[in-house]
Amino acid sequence: MFRKFIFAVPLALAVGTAGAVDSFVDMAQEEILQTLIDETGSPYLGQSPQNLQMMPDNPAYWVAEDGEALFEEPRGPKNVSLEGCDFGKGPGVLEGVYVELPRYFADTGKVMDLETRLVHCMITLQGFSKEDPAVKKRHGSDSDMMKLQTYIAMQSNGMKWNPPMDHPLEKAMRDAGEVLFYRRSGPMDFSCQACHGATGQRIRASVLPNINEPTEWTKAVSWPAERAGQQNVRSTQHRLRGCLWQMRHPGLVAGSDASIALISFWTDAARGQPAILPDLKR
Amino acid sequence: MSSKLISKVTLTAMTTAVLSAGIGSTSNAAESDKAAAADYTKMSPEALAEHLIFKAKGFKLEQPAQEGGLAGKRLEQDETQKICTVLRGKAADAETAEKVTAMARDSIRYPEGGIQLGDWKIGRELAWSGFGYRIGHKNDDHSGAKNGPGGNCYNCHQLATDRTGGNIGPTLTGYGKLRGTSEAILKYTYDVIYNANAYFPCTHMPRMGANGMLSSEQISHIMAYLLDPESPVNK
Repeated sequence: MFRKFIFAVPLALAVGTAGAVDSFVDMAQEEILQTLIDETGSPYLGQSPQNLQMMPDNPAYWVAEDGEALFEEPRGPKNVSLEGCDFGKGPGVLEGVYVELPRYFADTGKVMDLETRLVHCMITLQGFSKEDPAVKKRHGSDSDMMKLQTYIAMQSNGMKWNPPMDHPLEKAMRDAGEVLFYRRSGPMDFSCQACHGATGQRIRASVLPNINEPTEWTKAVSWPAERAGQQNVRSTQHRLRGCLWQMRHPGLVAGSDASIALISFWTDAARGQPAILPDLKR
Repeated sequence: MSSKLISKVTLTAMTTAVLSAGIGSTSNAAESDKAAAADYTKMSPEALAEHLIFKAKGFKLEQPAQEGGLAGKRLEQDETQKICTVLRGKAADAETAEKVTAMARDSIRYPEGGIQLGDWKIGRELAWSGFGYRIGHKNDDHSGAKNGPGGNCYNCHQLATDRTGGNIGPTLTGYGKLRGTSEAILKYTYDVIYNANAYFPCTHMPRMGANGMLSSEQISHIMAYLLDPESPVNK
């Protein structure tokens, strides 16, 4: 069930010690964010007091609750639940798996992020076809994909990002992601670094996160998150797609190795900082 | 960064992972997948990045682009992009700076009849508009845009203060009021919009003219928005 409610009392005590917080795991999402704001004064983290206020009632919690039911329910042509899916810590283990993704999976020989791993399990374990809406529809709070991703990611709230770099492929993907992040191309000459290389940069009114500041970057990579302006829970892949679209780059292929390389690099850049899952963003 | 923390412990774990990966699978498809993936570790990060874009088709390269041709062309780097990528946003050394500015100066084409100021009201809409050339899950249809694709100026610049602009580029509030409309200022402003690398090598300012994002006529309107004494930028 949701730790958020269970641990409501101890976290109130923990918040008083900003600056000396070494465990965020028993904290609610808004308290993790508040602690980071207090510690850093970051203009990115603090840009929306309204969102901070709304976080205890984050609509993403309902999406996660639907995801829990979907996760446990026998589904697909093979009529089995996702409890047999291994997200990196053994079949059915969800606690802490998301902060250690992307990672290498021996059964596919690939580095996979949450979305591609989930798709893999729904196809191989539950027998869904690639074209089934349960697998194919990747976006929107009403999609199975976002319900499941939100539920699974939430089991890592407050934990520190720690994507493994033990397997050579994990390191190779992370390093290629770094190259892609700084690679300038397209009709506007943009790289990701153009917007995410300094603190306090804004596109119009939106303050942007700086990849060189892990305390800011942890919120930047904390997806799924409710986008208040879109009234939908959005995924990491959705964020990436949106950035590249605005950059005038060609459309990113969802789940491609290029997308996973970028996600490997940006998750590594948040290493050691607490995840806020699910988050709420503008 | 912290990925450098690979220790003896993780090296041991790496060996174990490689061994167990070899034992675990039986199917040929999985084996050949693995072989393809294993090659990734033999490439340099730069070579792998190129591979992921063009060979592994990480992007929808075959999609038609608004400027004609296929979208994949946009990911092929020209000389300026290659040189500036290496800097990762840091200032260019003298030799690099000279090379980039020289290429930029060569790229600039001036309108027949000289640089003129257009209509600041059209310029204002163009400066505000972030529409145009976006491609992928949704495509901007330029046929619906009265003044053509947008200039995206407010994304990064503050201009007239009745609207909120970004701060990635310098503030341009009062641009014309501070500078006037001499020939030199007209040329400088045109050049910076057309290809700002001529003055600021490896700037983040897009080459709006050189890359065909804005026509000379559109530039004339945006310049009027910046320089016309009647423009809200200068009020």
